[in-house]
Amino acid sequence: MSSAIKTTFFPTWLVDPVRETAQHARGPFRPVSNRMIWLIPLAVGIAGLALAGVAWSVDAKQFYFSYLVAWASCLSITVGALFFVLIQHLTKARWSVVVRRIAEALTWGFPLLAILSIPILIGMHDLYHWTHADVMDPADSHYDPILAAKEPYLNTPFFLVRVAAYFVIWIGLSLLLYRASIRQDLDADPTIPARQRKVSAIGLLLMAITTAFASYDFLMSLDPHWFSTIFGIYFFAASFWTAHALIALVAILIQRNKALSDVISEEHYHDLGKMMFGFTVFWAYIAFSQYMLIWYGNLPEETLWYRHRLEHGWEAHSAALLMLHFIVPFWILLARGAKRSKAIMAIMAVWFLIMNWFDMHWLAMPVLHPDQASIHWASLASFVGVLGVYLALFMYRLNRHALVPQNDPNLARSISFST
Amino acid sequence: MLKDLAEHVKASMSIFGRDDTDLYGLLAEFKNPGELVHAAEGVHTAGYRRFDTHSPFPIHGMDKAMGLGNSKVGVFALGGGLTGLATGYLLQWWTGAIDYPLNISGKPAFAVEPSIPVMFELTILFAALGAVVGMFAMNGLPRPYNPLFYSRRFAQASDDAFFLHVASNDKYFDVEQTGDLLRSLGAVHVEPIFDREEADEDL
Repeated sequence: MSSAIKTTFFPTWLVDPVRETAQHARGPFRPVSNRMIWLIPLAVGIAGLALAGVAWSVDAKQFYFSYLVAWASCLSITVGALFFVLIQHLTKARWSVVVRRIAEALTWGFPLLAILSIPILIGMHDLYHWTHADVMDPADSHYDPILAAKEPYLNTPFFLVRVAAYFVIWIGLSLLLYRASIRQDLDADPTIPARQRKVSAIGLLLMAITTAFASYDFLMSLDPHWFSTIFGIYFFAASFWTAHALIALVAILIQRNKALSDVISEEHYHDLGKMMFGFTVFWAYIAFSQYMLIWYGNLPEETLWYRHRLEHGWEAHSAALLMLHFIVPFWILLARGAKRSKAIMAIMAVWFLIMNWFDMHWLAMPVLHPDQASIHWASLASFVGVLGVYLALFMYRLNRHALVPQNDPNLARSISFST
Repeated sequence: MLKDLAEHVKASMSIFGRDDTDLYGLLAEFKNPGELVHAAEGVHTAGYRRFDTHSPFPIHGMDKAMGLGNSKVGVFALGGGLTGLATGYLLQWWTGAIDYPLNISGKPAFAVEPSIPVMFELTILFAALGAVVGMFAMNGLPRPYNPLFYSRRFAQASDDAFFLHVASNDKYFDVEQTGDLLRSLGAVHVEPIFDREEADEDL
């Protein structure tokens, strides 16, 4: 048996940077053989993207906004999954070893997201007002002194450099951690955990910076007059929260396919549920912190952003966000039994994935339609399309290797973990 | 009826009554934590509900072995939290809009937005206090007098001994049979405890 993992080449590399190692997976950790778990999302995703393509030919500007919302919601899951992996390594977490491979496989969504960012870069002129040359030109009638003052940061070449830097960092960190983890499956080298921890220490710092700035660049700069320094944390809260939801959902799906039956227990769902519950409150805390300071300061350049989201029908979206992204899930997940029930956890995970998209929609879409709130069919098509393809490739990748890091020194303790 | 209820609530706090002969129950000593868990399981399976275990340190899995079920401290925390939320709201409204309204840069005398931090903090404070008070209440603490203190061996419960006490007011309690059960579960020593509510002259 060869104990070295083999690198794949482009374009397979985009799906999985290492060759299949499923044949080395030990009995209880063997992947799911049911191809439907990735074929169905792939079919749905391609259909969604085709429909989104129609939307592009009908109304390109609407398409770009819809697509950005869908893309950002998948980006947030991936960013959250990378945070999850980094934090588990740094804290030498034991409980999470059985679900860590799911998060590791999610982090390799970055190469796909880099490819999928191309339509956003093509649509920059429609998405980002600061890309317009006339607002920067003092001689032009559209001259905007505020945006002109922000030109050293908000200009197209620097934006492209930043986007490239984010993806280099994200893909680099994911590659280091993902490869090391797969290598550990074949070769129980005892130095691997320490090395993963070192990468994670630097990685967490890099992630904090890149996540905040990526959220400023892709979402906050849609309304370039407005600024909020807490916006990055808001995006992080959404990311980390949704990553937990998707990890729980995928674990349930795997177990429904008769894999990892005695590996993941209700104790693990309970902990994932606690994190999901905790982050409903954390998200609301951050969202409110942003709102309250702006309410108190009452400065026109800051309050306008909320004004757009509190009139012309957007107030209903804001109210829905408060109710369905905080108050209702708070009460549902408060009970201990709810977090230990696979059925309730699956429902809440799907709920949070949808509400995370709705949150991104609420951040972005009032910029395009300040006068009339709506959910355009292009937005739904883009969401289904991008998420479908994203999940399909993730499920395919996940089932090319053992479903848990099978040689992790803490795996046995994770399996027998109980609170 | 009311007396039964009071007795039941007290029993849930491990405060048990005595019978006509002042018997408080049987105290059995076990060799190690593993045997104590096993004994608790055995006693619970035999139908006993009024019993308690005493050990120098918390034993993982004991609540399950004793059939205690889910802790009710969360209910106290929730009650405290909701009380705190309401208190925060009323405090902000009464002080801001009723008792001493001040015009601060044209803002409303009372609004929910700036009140939420106060409501939030009081929710946390009252929930934490509710949890602590609830925990003490459910444990029947503080409890300076406990008939088990009449047992000389029981002093070891905070050092190196593991005890199981079956209350005499459990409906299955019988000095002979319960004693046999405890011995069959591996008790190294079983003694009856009498509650005479008098000072122990030897101490």
